Amino acid sequence: MSRSPFPARKTLLALLALGTAAAPLASAQTYSGPRVQLTFLHGFTGPDRPVMESLIKKFNETYPNIQVRATAQPWGTTWQQLPSLVASGRAPDVVVINEDQITNFVARGAVSPLTAAELKTAGIDKARFFGPLFQTADYQGQSYGVPISSVAYVMFYNKDLMKKVGLDPNKPPRTRAEFLTAAQKCTVDKSGKNATQAGFDAKNLDTWGVSLYNNWVGARAAYAAILQNGGAMVDKNQNAAFNSPQAVSAVQFLVDLVQKQKVARPNSTEEAELAAFSQGKVCMFPSGQWYLDRFEQQKMNFGVTFMPRVGGTARDAAWGGSSHLTLPKQRAGYDANKRRAALVFMSWLSQPAQNLTWTATGSLPTQRAVANNTKFASAPINGVFDRLNSVYATSGYPWVGQVMAPFDQAWEAAYLGKKPVQKALNDGVSEANKQIAQARKNFQ
Amino acid sequence: MTVTQAPPTTSTARAPAPRPRVSLEPYLYLLPHAVLFFLFTVYPIGYGLYISLHRWDLLSGTQPFVGGEFYRNIFTPGTPQADFFWKTLWNTTFFTIVSVPLLVAAALGLALLLHRPIVGRTFFRAVFFMPGILTVSVMGILWRWMFDNQIGLVNAARDALFSAPPIPWLSTEGLAWVPIVVGTIWWTLGFNMTLYLAALGNVPLSLYEAASLDGATPWQSFRFITVPMLAPVTLFVIVTTALASFQLFGQSLVITNGGPSRSTQSVIQYITEEGFTNAQYSSAAAMGFVFGLFMLIFTAAQFRMMARDVKEG
Repeated sequence: MSRSPFPARKTLLALLALGTAAAPLASAQTYSGPRVQLTFLHGFTGPDRPVMESLIKKFNETYPNIQVRATAQPWGTTWQQLPSLVASGRAPDVVVINEDQITNFVARGAVSPLTAAELKTAGIDKARFFGPLFQTADYQGQSYGVPISSVAYVMFYNKDLMKKVGLDPNKPPRTRAEFLTAAQKCTVDKSGKNATQAGFDAKNLDTWGVSLYNNWVGARAAYAAILQNGGAMVDKNQNAAFNSPQAVSAVQFLVDLVQKQKVARPNSTEEAELAAFSQGKVCMFPSGQWYLDRFEQQKMNFGVTFMPRVGGTARDAAWGGSSHLTLPKQRAGYDANKRRAALVFMSWLSQPAQNLTWTATGSLPTQRAVANNTKFASAPINGVFDRLNSVYATSGYPWVGQVMAPFDQAWEAAYLGKKPVQKALNDGVSEANKQIAQARKNFQ
Repeated sequence: MTVTQAPPTTSTARAPAPRPRVSLEPYLYLLPHAVLFFLFTVYPIGYGLYISLHRWDLLSGTQPFVGGEFYRNIFTPGTPQADFFWKTLWNTTFFTIVSVPLLVAAALGLALLLHRPIVGRTFFRAVFFMPGILTVSVMGILWRWMFDNQIGLVNAARDALFSAPPIPWLSTEGLAWVPIVVGTIWWTLGFNMTLYLAALGNVPLSLYEAASLDGATPWQSFRFITVPMLAPVTLFVIVTTALASFQLFGQSLVITNGGPSRSTQSVIQYITEEGFTNAQYSSAAAMGFVFGLFMLIFTAAQFRMMARDVKEG
């Protein structure tokens, strides 16, 4: 991801456009206590780092009484260090934690809850954010973090190719039936026959309908499909439950695209599908929104839409990842002014103006006010903005690793045709639950 | 640290100056290393052992002693640890068995070729040594691309030369080892080759001259002069290469991510998963000790065998 920093003039215009949203909040985030210094630990070490540093510089200039000193280090290092930092009473004042780690740290007591009163005083209004995104950092009815960055699984589609096979390039599929029809029309063999015609040769494809593949990114299509069909990854006791009838039916549809409908290539890899989509051989490429930059630079004629409801009709859903500002648990006697100041910092950084600046890193908006900004009016990514409220992270249970690793393995086995879908998912759930049973002992 | 030194018993031509009875000096020389050794080796091992015997989490208020529970898991069929620890340990062993002979033989072969005064010798030495300076991620991505199921160079070449259908290297159990082993050989061959080149330079030419006077064939000179003279280096190369192979981690992580179905997952990757993805530190520590013990036994056996050969050779 190489992105130029957001041009200053545009920021100014954007701030003016956001004026109505930002004005009433500005009064809420004041800090009148003595001068404090806050330590801030985050994992934005790539091209997003200068954007974060410029935001912090701006904050420090705006709030002379609060000086934030930021440290950027790889996420993995933070996950390893945070427990010992908290245990020894030397935790940073503010730490950014990602969606797949946060519930674990919350359940282990590394993060302190944000009370309703604190959020109110700081002017952090939950309702302003996309609901599931804010709830990513919730656990047992309490909030533990404020989202500042977000990525999601989307569906890229090739407008030229869709037009060529007789599909409306401005109406990407939304339902399972529309999706299947589109995929079939896009799948054309070297003699020009498509997947619905007699004599179609699936072994010699010229173009095909959809990219599916076997790594963890590929598995996120199955994750979306399960949620769309009303399934879930875990049950109410937080045991793995991705082998429910809804889940099996949803994943079966995806596997059938490969094995029965032949509108997706078998045995494929993310790289191969990415190359094929870039070369105009695939109509629909579901993947992370982080590829946007790449396709834009390539000057492809493509669109971006929310993942169609391939899994079922229960609801819209796609996988998403996010980063949340959290306040780690501090030793007894921790300066209350620091916590107040930290909340002001969290509030400021999650404001629409700052979030708009942050989208220059490739992040999705965290709130409707930012998504509505005129900057995005003609941007391809705008195609997913109508359903950002349906982006679901893997969180809410402390053992995300124990659930997602077996799930990814199950998808791999099903996609490669090594196991029938039901068996692959059953095996995955059984492995996950054995590991959860062990992990549970740590929380007693 | 007080030590009494016995007075020298042998009398030499010039009587030695009387030494101080207690000398701290040798220990001062040892001190810097000893401090680092205790701090970064002995203490972590001890702490690791403590972790493996307790239900350990820095954030939890209590860290109850559980004795051998986490060790028992590894030996109790049906637990994820028993299933995956032994599977991934076998994967790692398999990789070592396959890659070490190739790495040693190919390095020796190359060294023999490049030891001769051929044109461009330095260039070729550099060519074979160069891949070793790449990081494992660069090397891994390169070989993943070479063997990609759909767009890899290997499948493209098969198609162009023989019109052969593509082989799904990365998603077929067994075949997924090919890019890992081939990539590792390409990546690490140069180091062993350099060791052999240095050793070949030290074989006295007079031995070959004497042999040729006695009418020895080139094969006989190689078998009865080169091989025995290189034996100490061969021992070193085999032991270090085997240990390095047992530490397989990055290559399979980047090339196949351990797949398909954990068939190329290395034991270290699994231990890392247990520790840092599943947050089961104690279990990971216990597996680390079992794996460490396994390697210790393996290395000791190898050393005994090889040392005997070196002596006898």
